[in-house]
Amino acid sequence: GLILLFYLVFYGFLAALFTFTMWVMLQTLSSDIPKYRDRISSPGLMISPKPDTALEFYFNRSDSQSYSEYVTTLQNFLESYNDSKQSQNIECTSGKIFDQSEAAVKKACRFNLSELGQCSGKEDANFGYSKGTPCVLVKMNRVIGLKPEGEPHIQCTPKEEGMVNINYFPPNGAMDLKYFPYYGKSLHAHYLQPLVAVQLAITPNGTKEEIAIECKILGSPNLKNQDERDKFLGRIAFKVLMSE
Amino acid sequence: SARAAEILARDGPNALTPPKATPEIVKFLKQMIGGFSILLWIGAAFSWISFGIQLAQGVDSAFDNLYLGVVLALVVILTGIFAYYQEAKSTNIMASFSKMIPQQALVLRDAEKKELPADQLVVGDIVEIKGGDRIPADIRLIFTQGCKVDNSSLTGESEPQSRSCEFTHENPLETRNIAFYSTTCVEGTATGIVINTGDRTIIGRIASLASGVGNEKTPIAIEIEHFVYLVAGVAISIGVLFFIISVSMRYKILDSIIFLIGIIVANVPEGLLATVTVSLSLTAKRMAKKNCLVKNLEAVETLGSTSIICSDKTGTLTQNRMTVAHLWFDNQIYSADTSEDQTTQPFDQSSPSWTALSKIVTLCNRAEFRPGQENLPIMKRVVVGDASETALLKFSEVILGDVMSIRAQNRKVAEIPFNSTNKFQLSIHETDDPHDKRFLLVMKGAPERILERCSTIMINGKEEPLDSEKAEAFQTAYMELGGMGERVLGFCHLYLPENEFPEGFQFDTDSMNFPTSNLCFVGLLSMIDPPRSTVPDAVSKCRSAGIKVIMVTGDHPITAKAIAKSVGIISATSETVEDIAKRLNIPVEQVNRREATAAVVNGMELKDMSSEQLDEILRNHTEIVFARTSPQQKLIIVEGCQRQGAVVAVTGDGVNDSPALKKADIGIAMGIAGSDAAKNAADMVLLDDNFASIVTGVEEGRLIFDNLKKTIAYTLTKNIAELCPFLIYIIASIPMPIGTITILFIDLGTDIIPSVALAYEKAESDIMNRRPRNKRKDRLVNQQLAVYSYLQIGIMQSVGAFVTYFTVYTEQGFLPSTLLGVRVDWESNAINDFEDSYGQQWTKYQRTYLQWTGYTAFFVSITIQQVADLIIRKTRRNSIFRQGLFRNKVIWVGIFSQIGIALILTYGLGHVTALNFTPLRFQYWFVAVPFAILIWVYDEIRKLLIRRYPGSWWDKNMYY
Repeated sequence: GLILLFYLVFYGFLAALFTFTMWVMLQTLSSDIPKYRDRISSPGLMISPKPDTALEFYFNRSDSQSYSEYVTTLQNFLESYNDSKQSQNIECTSGKIFDQSEAAVKKACRFNLSELGQCSGKEDANFGYSKGTPCVLVKMNRVIGLKPEGEPHIQCTPKEEGMVNINYFPPNGAMDLKYFPYYGKSLHAHYLQPLVAVQLAITPNGTKEEIAIECKILGSPNLKNQDERDKFLGRIAFKVLMSE
Repeated sequence: SARAAEILARDGPNALTPPKATPEIVKFLKQMIGGFSILLWIGAAFSWISFGIQLAQGVDSAFDNLYLGVVLALVVILTGIFAYYQEAKSTNIMASFSKMIPQQALVLRDAEKKELPADQLVVGDIVEIKGGDRIPADIRLIFTQGCKVDNSSLTGESEPQSRSCEFTHENPLETRNIAFYSTTCVEGTATGIVINTGDRTIIGRIASLASGVGNEKTPIAIEIEHFVYLVAGVAISIGVLFFIISVSMRYKILDSIIFLIGIIVANVPEGLLATVTVSLSLTAKRMAKKNCLVKNLEAVETLGSTSIICSDKTGTLTQNRMTVAHLWFDNQIYSADTSEDQTTQPFDQSSPSWTALSKIVTLCNRAEFRPGQENLPIMKRVVVGDASETALLKFSEVILGDVMSIRAQNRKVAEIPFNSTNKFQLSIHETDDPHDKRFLLVMKGAPERILERCSTIMINGKEEPLDSEKAEAFQTAYMELGGMGERVLGFCHLYLPENEFPEGFQFDTDSMNFPTSNLCFVGLLSMIDPPRSTVPDAVSKCRSAGIKVIMVTGDHPITAKAIAKSVGIISATSETVEDIAKRLNIPVEQVNRREATAAVVNGMELKDMSSEQLDEILRNHTEIVFARTSPQQKLIIVEGCQRQGAVVAVTGDGVNDSPALKKADIGIAMGIAGSDAAKNAADMVLLDDNFASIVTGVEEGRLIFDNLKKTIAYTLTKNIAELCPFLIYIIASIPMPIGTITILFIDLGTDIIPSVALAYEKAESDIMNRRPRNKRKDRLVNQQLAVYSYLQIGIMQSVGAFVTYFTVYTEQGFLPSTLLGVRVDWESNAINDFEDSYGQQWTKYQRTYLQWTGYTAFFVSITIQQVADLIIRKTRRNSIFRQGLFRNKVIWVGIFSQIGIALILTYGLGHVTALNFTPLRFQYWFVAVPFAILIWVYDEIRKLLIRRYPGSWWDKNMYY
């Protein structure tokens, strides 16, 4: 009996102590930005849609079932980019870092879906999947305070030539500097990260086998894309196999 | 010699087969599967299995499991090799001991005398031996000349036995015409026929008897086994429990197996058994410095748990040399100094009687120092002569100085040596006074025989007639000295009248043309083999340590009792049954045996006793002396003591002692006087043959038991801090807080030196004031220790480490709330935009790197808190401040090594991916410091309450 009571008190005390120290620790934090951001100094790249299996797209252009999942994912993903959702967002000056560290309320820059051209889902609700020109959206991970230098743009290269022609939206796969820096979830609630749509026009040669494609962020000295260990730092590789 | 070769082929060489040694490979394999090794092998096997499965499934991280398996196997193999090496090292010390110089024997073969190696002897060979030789086999003597053999190693008889060709007894051990293998011929020569060789000799049979006596597990081996079972039990049950939990939480079987490995690795203190070995061997080294050479490492602790010591008398309790203890002249008894290194004698030497007595002692003595020892202390010099004469020679050398020149000044003109019929020794000398032309006749011998020949007695230098009153005084003194177990000699002299014996008189010792009666009695000297000066203190230490000291000797009961009294084995106030009978003047039978605390048991009585009677004696008497016992009876006594549940230490030197030494929980052989057989059978060798060394050994043994407790408590604590992460990882699905490899770095890296350092801890209180531990109740790892380490300090450590873990994650952007339940996504290779609490997105590798930072933080926190754990483990009851924070310097070496290794791992090897360490922000080293301080404070409070309220609920539950 006494033993149980003892441990009840003992563990109660430890739990209280744990809670207290955690509370003290949390008090030292700002709710806006994390204390340290050194572990993500350079952002990773990611694509949408993201197949469940390891970044490999398998679909039949004539079978809408086979790509419906990708299409829905894209539709859902682009939902937040709808003009109706961006009403509060402002138009910002292109080609320039949009520094608003002085401002108490951080504004989000508008990203017009039309910039994604044929991949915006407006012209082609199937994002090109039915035509053999599937769209893949490339996005860069949000990192608070990141200010890319130079003219960052996405460039994708297939492993083998002649199987696919790649179009970028916006042109050149450019990522406009006006979308940076990001100020964090609480300050920058409406922030939308810039997207680059990559349209893969698969040539008749390319339908028989897997096409390996690697996309990289280029043109910015402070965005790494060659880390030995991190295969997603500033780059992303995926495969596409389209059948007819 | 062709025939000899034939017999040699039939009987084998004339050598004792050494006890069957376990093959080295078996010993090695035993180390490989003993203890926790089997658990770790299972862990390694699981790792490889899951590696195989994952490889087949094409999982990227499959190789992690391969490496983990390899590391686990390496850990087992390395610790196995280490333990094997340690054991081999301590066995080797002994191997050098038992190596014998090849013996030669002079054999008559093919009608010529040949020197042959003794192991070539066969039955029927005729061998010749002379004084100083070792008998090469059991031989029947066919020719002897003044042959005496020393059978002490075989039968325990300390006096040399004469040997002749006559058959005197049916029993081969008793008859005079047989000399035994491995005994020595002291003097004379003999020729004999070999009748037994090798293992068929008497000694060979005893040796095989000794190896037949089972070798029992040492107490510490039992304790460690108990501890291994306990930890393995905890590991397996938690492992299986969480295997079931994780399976029912719909984890994949493979993942569950990987969790199981983690739990096992976290639970098993990999480095502990090696640490225990090191601690034991450190103590063994320390004991060797104090003249206890330990053959078997585990025996180190056995000595500490000893509750009965059966000690020899001669050489162990005593100095093994006759020394003058008392003198009687001028009607008065004087005591002499009997210590080991006497340089003067303090008694009153002014009386002219003493001058006369000293002259007799000096002159009537045939013993001489071996030349060339002038620089040695007198007591250390080698003397040619028997024990009593040696004693007298040294005695007079100490008091008078150069005895040899005194003898030269008083030239000896005639001499009758001692013989057993007349029981005296006589010599006639010229005096050193040139004006005194008289001859001086001096005589010594059995006091009553000497007195018979005297008509006067010297009192204060004057001869007075020996009347009945003075004879009475002599009797009283003689009885008193004899009653002290001392060997008494009487001394008398006579100045021969000058007119009857003029200068140049020819004395004839055969016709005795000189007076041998009506002499003048001068005094008595009594001698004893005195106790070693350190022994009484050691015995009283044993007494306060609750250890019963039993004397087992072949000596006469009176001598045995006297020595027992003088060293305190029989205390001054206690009485034997006989003493009580004498005091109350009633027959022995009527004495209430319960009243007598002491007992002197004669070997003859012991022979007729049933084991129940022996048990009763051992139970009812606290102070026991066994006198006139044969070495065989020692075994019976040891078994009797063991029936009482005691841990018995036995000393012995003879070959015949070896069964008793084997049987005892710890057999202690004498390094100087001991035979090889005894040393082989023993667990420990006493280099200086001194009983006091045993007691220092006991002290060390007890200390190491306490310190091992501390080491284990220290080591077990952090296992919880290693285990909790796994459990919480499984249940709450947070990112893994600590890696398996990291755990191994704690267990085999930072923790090793500190846990060895605890072996250097001084005793908390006088451990020699405590009763010996109860084998059944006082476990090395008891419930309190496990509970306190696991459920209290261990949990505190875990809390501290988790605070650091959460701090690291939070400050990088993952609030604790976001971490719960993220495991699957967190570990998914496909998710490279994992969002943190601030909206940032992380790639898999960025998360993994953060996870390693978490490992490092967790590791550092455990290390920091282990520093506190190390400090609190210095004592179990006393405040650290009383023990002294800085007294044990090795602890600080341990602390610095711990922190040093952690620094190297974190900052030096932080970039080696395979080790999963990352350079850590400096402030994270201090997050756990408040918890470390809390551990210290809490433990001080625990100790305070234990001291303040002995016997209370707290004391019972919190004292380990």
